[in-house]
Amino acid sequence: MEQFRHLLGPLASLRLTVVLFALSMFLILAGTLAQVRDGVWTVVDQYFRSLWVMIPLQLFVPEKVLRLPGAIPFPAGTTLGILLFVNLLAAHAARFKWSWKRSGIILSHAGALLLLVGEFVTGIGADEGHMSIFEGSSSSHVEDLREAELAIVDATGEEDRVVVVSQHALQRAAGQRDHVITNPLLPVSVRVDQWMSNSRLLGPRQASPQQLARASAGLGTEVAAEPIRNVTGVDGMSTDTPSVYVTFERDGKELGRYLLSTRIDTPQDLFVDGKVYQVWLRFRRTYKPYTIHLIDFRHDKFVGTQVARNFSSRVRLVDPARSVDRELTISMNKPLRHAGDTLYQASYKEGDTGTVLQVVRNPGWLIPYISCAVVTLGLLVHFVAKLISSARRVVS
Amino acid sequence: MNIHSRLGGWLLPAIVTLITLAATFAIMFRPSRGEHRGEWDAIGRIPVSAEGRVKPLDTVARNSLIQISGRQRWERDGQRVEAIEWLCELMASPRTASTRNVFRIDHPDLLALLKLEDEKRVRFSFNEIAPSLNDIALQSRQAATVEPKRRDPFQKAVLQLESRLLLFASLARMETPYCVVPMRQGEEWRPLADAVREPELAQHPSAQSVIGVLSAIAEGEVSKAGANAREYLQTLSTVPEARTSAAAHEVLFNRAMPFIYASALYVLSFLLGCAAFLMRPLWNPDRSRVVARCALSIMLVAFLLHTFGLITRMYLQGRPPVTNLYSSAIFIGWAAIILALVAEWFHRLGVGTMVASLLGFGTLIIAHNLSSGGDTMQMMQAVLDTNFWLATHVVVITIGYSATFLAGLLGAIYLIFGALTPLLRGEPLKAIPKMIYGVIAFATITSFVGTVLGGIWADQSWGRFWGWDPKENGAALIVLWNLLILHARWGGMIQPRGVAVLAVGGNIITAWSWFGTNMLGVGLHSYGFMDSAVFWLVVFCLVQLAIMSVGAIPYRAWRSNTVARAAKRESAAVANVPA
Repeated sequence: MEQFRHLLGPLASLRLTVVLFALSMFLILAGTLAQVRDGVWTVVDQYFRSLWVMIPLQLFVPEKVLRLPGAIPFPAGTTLGILLFVNLLAAHAARFKWSWKRSGIILSHAGALLLLVGEFVTGIGADEGHMSIFEGSSSSHVEDLREAELAIVDATGEEDRVVVVSQHALQRAAGQRDHVITNPLLPVSVRVDQWMSNSRLLGPRQASPQQLARASAGLGTEVAAEPIRNVTGVDGMSTDTPSVYVTFERDGKELGRYLLSTRIDTPQDLFVDGKVYQVWLRFRRTYKPYTIHLIDFRHDKFVGTQVARNFSSRVRLVDPARSVDRELTISMNKPLRHAGDTLYQASYKEGDTGTVLQVVRNPGWLIPYISCAVVTLGLLVHFVAKLISSARRVVS
Repeated sequence: MNIHSRLGGWLLPAIVTLITLAATFAIMFRPSRGEHRGEWDAIGRIPVSAEGRVKPLDTVARNSLIQISGRQRWERDGQRVEAIEWLCELMASPRTASTRNVFRIDHPDLLALLKLEDEKRVRFSFNEIAPSLNDIALQSRQAATVEPKRRDPFQKAVLQLESRLLLFASLARMETPYCVVPMRQGEEWRPLADAVREPELAQHPSAQSVIGVLSAIAEGEVSKAGANAREYLQTLSTVPEARTSAAAHEVLFNRAMPFIYASALYVLSFLLGCAAFLMRPLWNPDRSRVVARCALSIMLVAFLLHTFGLITRMYLQGRPPVTNLYSSAIFIGWAAIILALVAEWFHRLGVGTMVASLLGFGTLIIAHNLSSGGDTMQMMQAVLDTNFWLATHVVVITIGYSATFLAGLLGAIYLIFGALTPLLRGEPLKAIPKMIYGVIAFATITSFVGTVLGGIWADQSWGRFWGWDPKENGAALIVLWNLLILHARWGGMIQPRGVAVLAVGGNIITAWSWFGTNMLGVGLHSYGFMDSAVFWLVVFCLVQLAIMSVGAIPYRAWRSNTVARAAKRESAAVANVPA
């Protein structure tokens, strides 16, 4: 046992704790500054939910002052989280001695461990997306605004048959003449001429003839897309809107060059051997077992201003499997929890014609609540214990 | 000890308290001077709705004048005149108001654009600017196409002037504030400007009364205008929407300016406190104790004003104390003072009073500089519109900021006076580190609990306990920094000197979390951006780094320490001499 404790020594040291705190602080600072250039999700994935990260030195100096190339490798959130976890466990294993005096410290540290676990569970288990619904219509799917997909829909039959190509596959094939995306499920093969992770559309009069000539069919002959810089954490709530130029082929024969964009709401027609398919680039969809019907969306403003006072959506929730069919209101700070999902009022459609709900599924959502309660309880116990002991000292 | 000194121990401080209290209240609630003061007061109490809030006309006048002119009063023929007179003139007779020098313009290129560069003043009238309106429109249209962060000072100045002109115009046309009170079911606040399109609106009793007041002013009959205003207020007293009694309180609050007087008193108390604390080793103990108590009593009067202002704002807004950056400054100072007084209660060194007054003054100055943007009691964005979370998360985390700043300031005092002067010898040299430790422990708990409550709020509002948003990250940095100090101390890695150095570093971290993250302009939490603040933040951080570097002086070389040791040796030598 003593030997075991001896081995734990270095892992359990307070020095390691202090170093880990310092490293975490540096990482968090870098992860904050990085949001000036990158979107918050990119930063979260790179800095906080990976093992290590290359931190560009330029983050710490304004470009106007000094151009600083290069980057340093640095342990990222997962590594530091695991190390803190191990350090804390080892410290308590090596020095564990139960006493009332120490119970507060032990409790609050147990809570801190739980907090780390919670963030880990959230990191791997949580999923979130947006559900946009126009007034009077319904939706049963959420869109992941961080990722697009190319959907090819066969709407001729009784039920829609949908095949999607992931953003990952599109990006991998982008710009490579000899890389053609094929799959037995796909009625056509897809060649990606240009992928734009964020883009804007140019109208018929803004786009040059060359730009319009990039597409041979569909809307792309009237509007063009051009790449713009990615949305950063600084830009607030807006998101990237990818576009893609693709060539659809069948048996080596070109069927048409198309412009597909998440900025275009409707699918475009693609004719393959006399059959009509609908193709579009949309945000990745996940279907839910329930349907939300938007009855009414309200956007109240303060008198004489554009400042929003409240947003609320009157909706009908239908979930046949759970025999649920009822009307309710989702508003700011008043989400709906249903079937493991939580639906929040997030945004609205232009002209208040519809609502945007944020749909979050986080199996670990309760963990932070518990851990916070435990830490707070621990700190309270510790301080009461301290108070009693110092009171005793005064009395004696 | 004679009776004189025994009484003097508390008598003088008590007298100082009473005199300060009486003098301050006499100044704050003095009857206003000048012609027709009573009339103007009544007119100022007329309730209107602007920026989504029902408030007295007096508040609109002050905020508009601050935005246009950079100050709350203006001068007419060399005489100081209240904002309300300016606003009423602007609404009643815009032609005359257009000749008043109220537009503040500093930028030399902008003055050149307006062909006013030869004038030796900074405030100009609308009529002087009017010939160049087209140029301003052209320039500001160009400036508006540039991203806000990339605009140069001239572009910022021209856009600011344009927004001032727009405000001036909308006040003159009575598009803002909304003057017509909803008196019946189904009515809403309406601007008088709408009466041009809807003649029946002009027949509304509320519109009639306001028009009556304004036309009396236009005719130069202020007494009649005042009488009309009083009559109008009387009618409105039964209309709940008008909130006439709150409006009257707000006028009183505007006039009293408690924060201004509090900050002046904080300075006075700080100077006295410094004298008492630093002269301790040199003066006789009675004298320094009396001076310390005087400093404390002035500080308490200032704190009373501070508290009065804080509570009045809460009452007027119907909200917990912190709703925006301005109020966070006021509250951080307020909470830090309480903590400093608690620390003082334990150790009785006089250092608490000194620190408390400095924090009070510093935060009120910051608040004052944040107030130039207009109404400091503006409405909250929908997602922030919840009193429960404002009262818990925001208050607790702000107390965490206060405690971290307090620890940092104590650390700075310990390092500067300990290392560089002989003034900290004896008890303070041992007691201040204990205070710092206690305050850091408190800061750890409050910043942790506050951060966590924020996470819970975020989970309730948009389903993400932690989003790695810059403001959240800033809060996490404070928690981690405090934890780092505590663990390093428990592990024996740092001694009192190291704790003090790191505590001063906490100032940088807290300033970053409070202001720096807003300057990035990132995330949902950013609610204000001030250009000059970037400069001051950098200065503040450099000063902190300089103070931290003082901590590099080894403890045995500290002036206070060497002097104390020498004194000890001397007294030991004296004791060893046989009698």
